[in-house]
Amino acid sequence: MSNKNLISRKQELPLKDDSSSLFLQVMICIAVFLFAVTLAGVLSINSMLVTWNESILGSLTVQIMPVNDANVQKAQKGTLEHQQKALEVLQSLPEVESVTPLTDKQLQKLIQPWLGDGVDLKNLPIPRILDVKLKADAEPDFAKLAEKLAEASPLATLDNHKLWLNKLIKFADGLKMLALTVLVLVIAVTSGAITYSTRTSLGLHQYIIEILHTLGAKDAYIAQQYAKHIGMLGFVGGIIGIMLAVPTIFMISRLSEQIEGGIISEARLSIGDWLEILSLPAFAAVIAMVTAYYTVKRTLEKMM
Amino acid sequence: MQKNTTTPSIIEMQNVGIRYGQGPEILSDIKLSLKKGSFHFLTGKSGAGKTSLLSMMYLAQKPSRGVVSVFGKNVNFTNRDSLSMLRRRIGVVFQDFRLLDHLSAFDNVALPLRVCGMDEREVKKRVTELLQWVELDKHILATPATLSGGEKQRIAIARAVINRPDLLLADEPTGNVDNDIAPKLMKLFVELNKLGTTVVIATHSEKLIADFAYPCLHLQNRNLRILYPSSSLRNAGGSHEQ
Ligand SMILES: Nc1ncnc2c1ncn2[C@@H]1O[C@H](COP(=O)(O)OP(=O)(O)O)[C@@H](O)[C@H]1O
Ligand SMILES: [Mg+2]
Repeated sequence: MSNKNLISRKQELPLKDDSSSLFLQVMICIAVFLFAVTLAGVLSINSMLVTWNESILGSLTVQIMPVNDANVQKAQKGTLEHQQKALEVLQSLPEVESVTPLTDKQLQKLIQPWLGDGVDLKNLPIPRILDVKLKADAEPDFAKLAEKLAEASPLATLDNHKLWLNKLIKFADGLKMLALTVLVLVIAVTSGAITYSTRTSLGLHQYIIEILHTLGAKDAYIAQQYAKHIGMLGFVGGIIGIMLAVPTIFMISRLSEQIEGGIISEARLSIGDWLEILSLPAFAAVIAMVTAYYTVKRTLEKMM
Repeated sequence: MQKNTTTPSIIEMQNVGIRYGQGPEILSDIKLSLKKGSFHFLTGKSGAGKTSLLSMMYLAQKPSRGVVSVFGKNVNFTNRDSLSMLRRRIGVVFQDFRLLDHLSAFDNVALPLRVCGMDEREVKKRVTELLQWVELDKHILATPATLSGGEKQRIAIARAVINRPDLLLADEPTGNVDNDIAPKLMKLFVELNKLGTTVVIATHSEKLIADFAYPCLHLQNRNLRILYPSSSLRNAGGSHEQ
């Protein structure tokens, strides 16, 4: 007897023929694509932020411009007075751990590449520098700090590289929040679509489901068939989405390297980041399965 | 046997009424007790409520009022999963068979075994055997659309009995088939009944009722009466065939 075909058991619920199956698969493919590209953005912003924060945390530099005076002695003295004023203001701040003016020797070392050895600082109008150590948990408001400093001495300025970096960090943080919102929205919209098409499909197959119930099937039996089918859609759609996303991520990072060589080059994705991105199809499959399973359970509970 | 009061009830109904939506009651104040191992016909004009009564017995509907107990469980206080477990002990032959058109004869008959997670090897053994017995082994892979009414009926009956049910309900199994229920299938029901299965068959067939001297649950004017074979059916039951 030709019984060998019996082994390939046919699904009781012909979910593969649902017209919504293709729609869901395309939808999940697009969702995973968007998710992957956005996640890559978030992760590179993160790695950028880590590098930037490291360079900004813990310390800052204040520069005192030299006083202009024909009398060198007088100019030197004036500059040191301004340095003292700035130092006092800085020390009074709660975020500041300590303030150390660079010694002549240290200054000389800094200048050496430009002016060569054996320069006598006493005869040159060079800026003085204060090295400010911040307390471990301090999160200073750099703009306010710069303002206070300017009040104390018009010649004192905060190293503006750090000030600028601080603004950039704030901007990147905002961008990151925006991207995270997009990720949440993508998940919400996708599970919404899964819920909707699962409900539609349950209505479509009500006849079969009633028969299965009459024959003693529990809700879980039907829910499992949906979870399996939609989980598979999610996985395959996710794989296709990732296959489109990876070259896109490479392309974007190439482009951004060319445009902004300096800063963006710190936005490298680590191996861990890549693993996170590549695990998205599995993530999509799990979300699809869980959403479908509980949608079926909840919907069927309203039937006898 | 069914008159023995110490035998447990398979189905109990008390003050049962059923209506659809806001419509009038189709059945009112039904009182019924089916003992384990009993065999009943269910009669009444078309539209009298035979299918509605059976659907409460196979747990597809809850009564609008009153109490229905199946296997000793009040259906109003039984959770969904437990209802499923009760349904596994009930075999149903529907008036319109309700076979799944996209599945083969084999898969249709296998459904009750698969929904309770039976091992596929055991499923294959049991289904093949039963399909042989109902002489459908030639059509094991055929889908219902390609089969005759009689063949579909045999699939429907095979699906109802594959799980060796404690309660077998058949809703006018002759309804869509040109001739009466095949004697061999009726014999199957009688055999199952002898093995302890409680049987209710809704039917229009005078011949069936006359040939087998089982009591009738007769529905008329929204009420249920039990007619015993000794009383004259033709007078008591009225002309319940159009
Ligand atoms: N799902 C339903 N919705 C509304 N009315 C129904 C439904 N099923 C049956 N009825 C009505 O209930 C009455 C009894 O129907 P039914 O139980 O099918 O009787 P029978 O099986 O004896 O022909 C009929 O008047 C029918 O129109
Ligand atoms: Mg009917």
